[in-house]
Amino acid sequence: MADLLSILSGAATSLAAQRAVLATAGHNINNANTPGYSRQIASLETITPAEQVNGAFIGRGATLGTVTQARDRFLEAQIPRAMGDAAFSTAQSDALQAFHGLDVTDAGGLSSAVSGFFTSLRALAQNAGDPGLRASFLGAAQALARTFNSTASGIESARSGLDAQASGLAGQITTEAQAVAQLNVQIRQARGSGAEPNDLLDLRQKHLDKLAELAGATTVPTSEGDVNVTLPGGVALVAGGRAGSLSTTANGSGHLDIQIRLPDGSGPTILSSSALGGSLGGTISARDGALKTAGERVDQLAFDLARAVNSAHEAGYGLDGSTGLALFTPDDPTPNDVTDDVVAGAASQMSVVITDPAQLAMAGGAPVPPATTPAPGDASNASLLIATESATLPSGKDVQSAVSDIVSQFGTSTANAKAYADQDGAIEDHLTSLRDSYSGVSIDEEMITMQQAQRAYEAIAKVIQTADGMLETLLNLR
Amino acid sequence: MRVTERLVFENASRNTGRARTAAEEARQALARGTRVEHPGDDPAKAGLILAHRMSADRLTAISGATSAAADEIGAADSALDGVSTALSRARELTVQLSNATYSASERQDGAKEVDGLLAQVVSSLNARVGNRYIFGGTKDDAPPFQTDGSYTGDHADRKVEIAPGVTQQANVRADVALKGYDEASQTYDSQKDVLATLQRLGAALRANDVTGVQGTLDGLQAGITQVANARAQAGVSMSTFDSATSAAQIASDRDRVNAGKMSDVDIADASIQLQATQTALEASYAATAQSFRLSILSYLK
Repeated sequence: MADLLSILSGAATSLAAQRAVLATAGHNINNANTPGYSRQIASLETITPAEQVNGAFIGRGATLGTVTQARDRFLEAQIPRAMGDAAFSTAQSDALQAFHGLDVTDAGGLSSAVSGFFTSLRALAQNAGDPGLRASFLGAAQALARTFNSTASGIESARSGLDAQASGLAGQITTEAQAVAQLNVQIRQARGSGAEPNDLLDLRQKHLDKLAELAGATTVPTSEGDVNVTLPGGVALVAGGRAGSLSTTANGSGHLDIQIRLPDGSGPTILSSSALGGSLGGTISARDGALKTAGERVDQLAFDLARAVNSAHEAGYGLDGSTGLALFTPDDPTPNDVTDDVVAGAASQMSVVITDPAQLAMAGGAPVPPATTPAPGDASNASLLIATESATLPSGKDVQSAVSDIVSQFGTSTANAKAYADQDGAIEDHLTSLRDSYSGVSIDEEMITMQQAQRAYEAIAKVIQTADGMLETLLNLR
Repeated sequence: MRVTERLVFENASRNTGRARTAAEEARQALARGTRVEHPGDDPAKAGLILAHRMSADRLTAISGATSAAADEIGAADSALDGVSTALSRARELTVQLSNATYSASERQDGAKEVDGLLAQVVSSLNARVGNRYIFGGTKDDAPPFQTDGSYTGDHADRKVEIAPGVTQQANVRADVALKGYDEASQTYDSQKDVLATLQRLGAALRANDVTGVQGTLDGLQAGITQVANARAQAGVSMSTFDSATSAAQIASDRDRVNAGKMSDVDIADASIQLQATQTALEASYAATAQSFRLSILSYLK
């Protein structure tokens, strides 16, 4: 026969179990907005009956079995990749969209400077001896050189800004990797006590999500319950309780390379672009992709245009009889030999050599002795200079097409990056929505659970009250 | 789908953010008046817009050059008109003073008038446009015709671009028309030297040399014809430059219109787009607020 004290004891255990249900619901509510938190579920279990009465088992109440997390491993396995891809394309898109040096509306841009140069040249060709028009054309040439300078420096500034961003990201990745390694250790220790450290697992997941976002890192669970973290391409970032570290080092082109010291302490080794994902990879990709290409093409255009203009200019004669002078630097002393061309930096170094407007070689005919200067109205060489506007440059295009192409190509890269960012972002949003749906906290559900626990608690209290009444009845028997 | 708090709030944040971004972009496009600013907005159009603008700039410059060339030829024609008038008067004097009834004194007076006509012709041929002497070839910084009738300019053509890569002679060759310069032999033909003819006429009149006066008649007639031919050529050139100016301006305008079509916002479309995105934003706010209001907490007592 179930004695009353056993009923009281079972009720006390059951009360504790209901309190645990309430506490778990409260914990869930408290963390409803905590990033990375997975709702916890307190599972109650019936206490095994210990007493048989007339062949029937009499139960002894309920106890807390486990507190588990609601997690969908299939979803969670897909999320790091999606987060990494989205962060990569978003970082790349943001970087490219933030660069306005090739904007179509930019009145001081390359196209207007090139147009201004040839417009001034045409005006000068009308009256080659006019000092005002000469000064004006010289000013247009200087404006063209300055525009090439500012376009190139704008691109380089943007790339340097991305260097600074990459450096900061490398530091963040190192911090996150160390956090994951420490949590691996703590989780292993906590599991040693037999319980599942749900909150530590959530915290580790949060750091893993951050690593996926920052570096496109993926996780590899181990049989010991650790997670190892690898960068794209399989380079280890976290191995059990040890973390690698990322840092930057200057490379030969004036920018920063990303290097890693592996979890085993070896290195540092410079990471290739294929090992860089997430925000870091996107940042480096923007720096070394579309922006670098735009810079190279601007350099090429500056070099080709300077060479074409110089070649025509050197053949002509200035008002003062000077000849063989280049208009722009850099000058190519051997125009027919491309092997010695130094194109890199041509745009940033471009400048106008001539300072005296009289030296502008508009005349095509040599001075006729005894004259030492050409006819002032001789603009035959100006025609050759004007012809450079339509001439096919070594790139296979004329200057107008080359400018349009640079802008178009940069625009295409930006638009593609934006499209990828939108697409990858949508995939990430979808997967995180599904995860939020499965693992997130529903206040409605938790309130109902609380109501459920409260009702049960009240009912169990009634059981205690009843058992207590029965005991009192027994104790008052005379 | 299981609805959780984080799902509700994340979706609300995401959806209202998207709606707000769309509304802001539509507002900015309308306020800015352009739909392509960053090359990434529309890469193909961005390249084409620049190509059209640069082409328009080039054609505007060509139009400016051809217009100036036409003005200059107009000035040359006007100067040649003066020369032609002077030569006609000289021919009249020649015919008149070749008559034996005129006295030496009258021929002296005629000589003075011819001297004046020569000075007038020289003055006309030293016409300037701006700071340029337009009949001096490329040697245009000094008067090309001297009072003694000599020519100190050069024999070069000036060429002006009338279309990309196409040039047209833009000067009237006074050395050819009035001094009889022959390009092939690079010499002057004295029979075609109008100024020398005028000088000979003046000298003959002063010397009361009737035969000599008569001898200049053919040269003067030839000079009048040479000037008429030069003016006819100038007229053709002016017409060519006027046509080129018009064609370049039309092409330039067309390029600017095309660039504008691609870059500028269609106000009606942009206004509708703004209205649509604002309506969507309001709907998003309303739906979000509604989802926030629905909670079991409102009903549990």
